[in-house]
This record gives sequence, structure tokens and C-alpha cells, in this order.
Amino acid sequence: MNRPPHWMLRILEWFCPPQLYEAIDGDLTEQFERDHLRFGRRIARLLLLLNVISFFRPGIVLRNKIGMRMINASMTENYLKVALRNIQKRKLYTLINAFGLSIGIAFCGLIYLYILDEASFDQWHSNKSLIYRVEERSFDTWQQDPAQPYRQSAWVQAALLEAMQSDLPEVQYATRFNADYHGIFRYQDKAFTEKITFVDSGFFRMFSFRVLNGNPEKFFHTTEEVILTPAIANKYFGDTDPVGKLVRVDCEGDRSYLVAGVIEAPPANSSLNFEILMPQQNRPHFASHVKQWGNFSTPTFVQLYPKATLQSLSLNMEKLTKKYMGDKLEKWRKESAIPVPEGAKMLEYRFTPLEEIHMKKEVSWYKVSDPQYSYILGAIAVLILVIACINYISLALTTSAARRTEVGIRKTVGAQGGQLLRQFAFESVMLAVISMILGIGLLALFLPYFNTFTGKGITWSGIAMPPFILAMLGISIIVGLIAGIYPALVLSGFRPSVVLKGTGTSRLKAGFTKPLVVLQFTASAILIICSVLMYRQMKYISTKDLGYHKDQILVIPTQTGWNVEADKMVERFRSRTLNDPDVISVAGTTTSFNQGFSRYGYKIKGEQKSAYVYGVDPEYIPTLGITVVQGRNFDRNIASDSLGVIVNEALVRDMKWSDPLNEHLNWREDTVGLGSPVIGVIRDYHFNSLESGIEPMFLSMNKKDVGYLTTMLVKIAPVGVSESVDKLKAAWKDVADDLPFDYTFLDEDVARQYQSYERWMKITGLATGFAVLISCLGLFGLSGINAVNRTKEIGIRKVMGASLSQIFVLLNRQFVWLSLIAFVFATPVSWMIIEKWFMTNFKFQNPVGWEVFAVSMGSGLFVALLAVSYHALQAALLNPAETLKHE
Amino acid sequence: MTKDYLGEFEELVLIMVGILQDEAYGNAIVQEIKERVGRDVMLSAVHVTLYRLEDKGYVKSYLGGATQTRGGRRKRIFRITNSGLALLRSIKESKVQLWKMIPQLNMNTGFC
Repeated sequence: MNRPPHWMLRILEWFCPPQLYEAIDGDLTEQFERDHLRFGRRIARLLLLLNVISFFRPGIVLRNKIGMRMINASMTENYLKVALRNIQKRKLYTLINAFGLSIGIAFCGLIYLYILDEASFDQWHSNKSLIYRVEERSFDTWQQDPAQPYRQSAWVQAALLEAMQSDLPEVQYATRFNADYHGIFRYQDKAFTEKITFVDSGFFRMFSFRVLNGNPEKFFHTTEEVILTPAIANKYFGDTDPVGKLVRVDCEGDRSYLVAGVIEAPPANSSLNFEILMPQQNRPHFASHVKQWGNFSTPTFVQLYPKATLQSLSLNMEKLTKKYMGDKLEKWRKESAIPVPEGAKMLEYRFTPLEEIHMKKEVSWYKVSDPQYSYILGAIAVLILVIACINYISLALTTSAARRTEVGIRKTVGAQGGQLLRQFAFESVMLAVISMILGIGLLALFLPYFNTFTGKGITWSGIAMPPFILAMLGISIIVGLIAGIYPALVLSGFRPSVVLKGTGTSRLKAGFTKPLVVLQFTASAILIICSVLMYRQMKYISTKDLGYHKDQILVIPTQTGWNVEADKMVERFRSRTLNDPDVISVAGTTTSFNQGFSRYGYKIKGEQKSAYVYGVDPEYIPTLGITVVQGRNFDRNIASDSLGVIVNEALVRDMKWSDPLNEHLNWREDTVGLGSPVIGVIRDYHFNSLESGIEPMFLSMNKKDVGYLTTMLVKIAPVGVSESVDKLKAAWKDVADDLPFDYTFLDEDVARQYQSYERWMKITGLATGFAVLISCLGLFGLSGINAVNRTKEIGIRKVMGASLSQIFVLLNRQFVWLSLIAFVFATPVSWMIIEKWFMTNFKFQNPVGWEVFAVSMGSGLFVALLAVSYHALQAALLNPAETLKHE
Repeated sequence: MTKDYLGEFEELVLIMVGILQDEAYGNAIVQEIKERVGRDVMLSAVHVTLYRLEDKGYVKSYLGGATQTRGGRRKRIFRITNSGLALLRSIKESKVQLWKMIPQLNMNTGFC
């Protein structure tokens, strides 16, 4: 027998009233069977679908709704009316509840948007399923972690691209992608330092970045071309068409380039980020990069032919590796400082689909998903929702006396338990949905801060509204149900005979609210303690003596590239500003702090050692105020100093030297000679961030080996910073002519190392604020009800001679106890969180003392007391004659 | 009069219910209309009309026995009620009255 397609009838079932469904289904099936015999399956299916659709008409569908309304409509209307009346009657409680819930819901919405954005990374490329990132996986012969003998990286050899294109039949297009370069971009009188990305022509064929101007077919046919994003085009060319214009770009060599096109700027959810695109051939030292198979410096992407398989690709890739790298790998295997186990592959290549790059945390990339954000935000959202739900529950329970009569009457009239349950659930869900509307408003308010916090670019227009609203509604309904279910159970459980007899006291034995309040307070207390601890640590980090002076120092790049010109520039700038009283000193260095580092590894007596290296000049140590503990600073007049090194105490300890000034550091692994003589020892200072300890380090004037002075550190007098900067700018114009004047402040550079922690601290602080506010509002409401419940008791006590303070204590005692208990619970939890998550990032920690917990507890208690005092005072001040006159 | 008003299609369906007796269900009515009047009608239109007639009390329905052919679904069989019959009769009579007033018709037919 030919059955009609099930899903079509399911559609019918969905909108058709149940009492009619069977007969209609039967009629349609019968028709289908007949059509099937006459016209065949295809036509019959089509006719059936048409028939099903034609049943979707008011005469059928409304019969459905009307049928339901007959049962429910009047009650729903009544529920709505009662709920609205309740909201109006108790505006304050509604406000407290809605406020808390809306913040919780707003946080949930943010997490939803965050996850959506994470999932949308790189999904808009039309060739996304064919594009792969090439990754190398090699045996780590260098300082390895025994648990992870292999190193994985997306940076491969620059030469690999051409080898792959000629040897691998699977590869259709390929491009390299180097985004870490900066160069001076010039057009007419405009010159600025810009971020430059080097790619190959395959880039435009593979990725779906829209070309706004120019012919992408011809891009990079010559190497003297440059492609701009609209913001850059606008910066240099304004409204005029940039295509065809000649510009000059200085990235290790000043040359002219033709603007060949304008390409859409990558969106925030793109793994590939760029502002200016130039052909790989112009990349500094490209010629030597493509010759070296030992230099892993170039991320590379390939696009496969649609029919190509990964298996054959991997197989061919293995052959390629052997062909180009075989000898080298054997050599590495033999020379490895760590014995390479038998069968371990020295090097192999792997391919990660473009769509998965963002989620692949184990391979580092410019932007990689960090699930920490979602965990933390999730935890905060849950905490705030818990606090808000508890507000709802405890307020609903304590005020339930007012609803008793209603429940009694409804039950006598014939309401069943289930119906009442539904009514109260309806009320809480309604409140949650109202809160949702508020929450969406709050979300819009939070969104910009959220974007800066997470580094995302989520905009309202980019959000698909129907699923967003649905998700928010879903969240609200779940929250409403969670908050409402317990009060609904309690309220609907009243026995009408007991309630309506009127013997029950108007006071509620709300035993269960106490543990709830404790739970709520614990949540707030955890947040309070966490943010206090974070604040202390950040304060410690920012005020800790780093061992050098970081204030009033400007960091100025010499802009000349990596060559001897850099050194000359420092000299010129120094002599130009020599007579300026506002400029205290000018020092040159290879790298300033938090602007990268260089680290050398070397073998001494068969032992693997490593040290950080900074190329400096004699002004470096005085400018930064570094203490020399033994020996002396570099001296320009002693020629041999260019070979000597000044080491830090950590290096002395590492080398186990007892008399460092008579030692040599053979860091270049000279086979003849002893290496560099040590001419001085400096006190340890924090050239790295406080996340890590002070490692062995030395300073050198050996420009040829450690690099040129590409950065100036200029110490200025502590008065009138902006005037000094203007003066420096003028001086720069004199010596550097058309080079752009870029500068940062050293203390800001250093502070930037802790930016992410700063942000964590801020968001925790914000969450704490909200949590405390919401729970205090809850306490405020609760204490109000409590005071009202005990009006008569207070009246009698006053008549009997109780003093104001006694009554005040009486009313507040329980809240104090509850919050104390909460802090006892919260202390170990928050200590664990901070110790295990936040503090592990820092090598240098502010020890956690008991006073922190005491302070947090004291302030928490104070705020709680503040919240409950209003009602307590009011109740205590009330004239007993007022309250007792009815007796 | 307004209460007893029937649309043209409603009248047609009601007549078919009367004709088909115990076999008056959705599909059969569609077939019957096709055979006797030559009109193609949608099954859904017939259903909707039947329910409307039921609301007005001119037909009543019950679920008949299951058969093998319809996927085991029962048929909703409609029967014309007395008020339905009375309405049909009154429609017919009022129409005959009107027809009689058309001279051309009167001349050559033995209508009733």
C-alpha cells in the first residue's frame, strides 16, 4: 500500500483541530491513493501537498483556536487581570523583581550573542569548505615540555607555497599571509605608520572579501602593487579615486607602489585581519626567507580542487616534505639536544579547514576563540539570575498571606490544583517577559561596553532578530518558571477550609526563605570578595616597584628600519635635544618593554641555557634608573665595551658565578675565545610583565649581533607633558624630516600588559555592583514585609517599655545572622576561584590576608544593614497607639 | 429568512449529503459533485462547508467504521437533519414560486 508522505500530514496535524483531524487525514489519504494510481507518485504527492495547504484556511484553523478559547480564554483573561492588579498593587516588589530579572536576562542575552558571534567566524567565505590553513607539527628539540613533545604552529616556511603549487596536484590556489608588519605609508604630504599584510595573488581568488574598486583578476600581476581597505583609502585620498595613484611605502626599503584596488575591510568576526595588502615579494628579507627551509615564518593557506581528497593531499605532502626537507630533518634529528625517540616524526604538515581555525585553540593565531569569556559571563549571569529568582521567591512567599483568600475562593468555586499552579506560573512568566523587554533595553545599553570587553564587533543590525527574540523569550519563560514554580506550589497548596475560616494568622511561617536568603547572600558575597581580591592584586601590580623608572618616558620608534640608520637617528635626536631643559635624556634600545623581546638560546658546557637580550647604548641604564650593583655601565670611549655585556643578577645565579666581573658569557657559542666579557651586573628589574618571574637577561652594545637601536626612550621633565611632546615633535621634524612621529608613554605600555586582567576586574566589579544592588533590594522588600508582619508585636513591646534600639536590634538580628552565615560559605569558594583562576596568571602575587575577608564582610554587612534599616526604623518609630488601637 | 440563508455552494453540498445518504463524507461529496455537476471542487472547501452546515444544524456527523484503504482512518459521515431537509424544501418552493414568474420558463416546461 502506498502511504502518503508522513511529514505532509504532520503539517496538517499541527494546525488542524484534533476532533476533525482523523476524518480529514483519512480523506486526504484516500485521495492520495487514488491519485497515485492515476498519476503516479510524484503528481500525487504534489496534489496532496496542495490539498494540505488548502486546508490551512480560517474555516479550519480558527475552529481550532475558537475551540481552545472556549475552554481557556475567559480564565486567561482573568489571570491576566489578576496579575496586572497584583503588579499595580505592589509596585515596589514588582520593580525589585523586574529589575533583578532584567539584568540577569540581559546577561544571558549577551552570552547568546557572544556564542552566536563565535560560531559565525569565517563562515561567509563561499569557498570555506575548500580552504585549509597549513600547519606544521614538529618534534620540539628545544626546551620542551615532556608532556608535549610536539610543537604545533601555523607559521610554516615561506618556500612551502611554491613547492606545494608545483608538487601537489590537489592545490588550486594558495596564498601566504603575514600580518605582523608595519611600514611608513606616504602619499603627497601625508605620512603615517600603517599595518601592512603581505599576501599572494591567490588571496583574492580564495577569500570572499569584496573588491570595491579595481579588477581582482589582475591584482598582483606585478609586485609593485598595493590594495587598500576603504578606511586607509579615505585617510590618504579623501573622496578621490585612489586606483592608479602612486604611493610610497617604506617597509625595510622605500619604494613606489601603484594602488591597484580597494577591498572591503574584514569584519570583526574574521580570522584574517588586514588594512593594507601588498605582494609577498615585498616582505622584508623575502629573498632569504624563500631560500631557507629552516625558517618557519609564514602562515600559508591553500584552496583545493573540489574533487581533491585530504588523504591524497597528506600523502603527497609527505613526499614533498621528504623531497625538500629530508636531509635537513635527518640533521636535526642527530643534533637535537633532546634525544628523539625512534619513530617520532621530526616534521609533518597538517591542514585545518578555514571554518575551524577560530575554534582551534591549540594552534596560536591572531584571533582565537577564548571560552573563558563565555564561562565567566555564564557564571555571572547564573549568579545574578539566582539572586533575582530568590528575590522573587522570597517576596512571593512572604506576601502570600494576601493571596490566601483568593486561593481559597478560587478553590471553593472549583479551581483545581493544576489550574492554580498554572495561574501563578503564568504570573511569574508574565513578569519575566516584562523583564525581558527591560532586559533587551539594558542589553542595548551594555552592548558597546561588552564589545570593547570581548573585542567583538556585534551590532544591532547584524543580529538576526527572529531567533534572537525567540531565544530571549525562551530564556525568560524558563527563568519565569524556575522563579515561579516553588511559590506556585506553596500558594496552590493552601486548604480552602483552613484559609477561609480566618483562623490562620496573617503571619507567614516562611521557614524556607531563610536558606534562600543565605544562598542569595552567598552569591553576592562571592562576587564581593572576588572583586576585592582582584582589585588588590591589580593595585599591587600597578604600584609595585619594577626596579626601573617608567614615568615621564616617551617611547619613540626611529622609523628607519632595521639598519645602522636607526643608530644614527638616535644620535641625531640626542644632539638636537641636548640643550632642551625639558629633555632629561635620550636612550636607544632594540626593544622597549611590552613591544616584543628577543631571547637567545645557547649551549654552555653541554647545558642548554637561554637569556633575554636588549641592545642598548650607554644612556639606557641612567635613563631607566637601573641600579648597577657590580662593575660599571657601558662607556662610549672604551672600544672593547661593544663586545662586553652587562648581565642581571638572575643570569649570575643561573650561571652560578661567584665573581661575575671576571667571567665571560659565551652566548654566541664562539669556538675560539671565551665569549663576551662581563663588565657589569645590574639589579634584577621586571623587563617582562609580572605574570612571569625575572629571567636571565643581559644588555649589549654589539649592534651587529643583537640589533640596531630602533626605539628611543626619551625621559622628559615632570612638568607640562604636552608642551614637552610638542617640543619633541618639533625636534623630530628637524632630524627626521618626512618620517612620521609616533610615540607612546612607557608607563602606559607597561600597564597595557595587564589590560585583560583590568577588564576582568571591571566586569567582575560591575557584576558585583548589580548583584549587591539586587540582593539588597530583595532584602529591603523582605524587611518591609517582616516589619509589617510584626507591627502589633512591636506595638506591644513598645508599650511594655522596649527602647527604640532594642526594637531595631530585634528586627535586624536575623538578617545580620543570615549574612554572616553567607560570608562563611562564600569565603572558601571565592578564595578558591581567585587562587585557582586569577592569581595563577601572576608570578608576583599580593598575599591574601584575612583582613580582605574581614573588610569584604564588614562592607557587605553594612550595605545589608542599610537595606533593612529603613523599614526597621519606620516600624520602631511608629506610635504604638496607632497599631494597637483596633484591639 | 436571513437565518435560513444558504450560499450556492452550501446548498450544493447539502443536496449532495442528501443524495449520498450513508456514504456522505468529504471525498465522496467531491466525487459526486464532479460526476453530477461536472465541477472540480477542493476537498478543503467541501470540509469547511460541511462544518459550517453542521454549526447551523442542517447536517450532523459521526465517525464511521475504519477501512483498510484510508490508512485505517475513519470517515466522518454526514447526514442531513430534518431542519436541513426542511430548508432544502423551502428553498425549492420559493424558487419554484419565482420561476413561475418568468414567462419564458413557464411556457415550455413542465417544471413541477
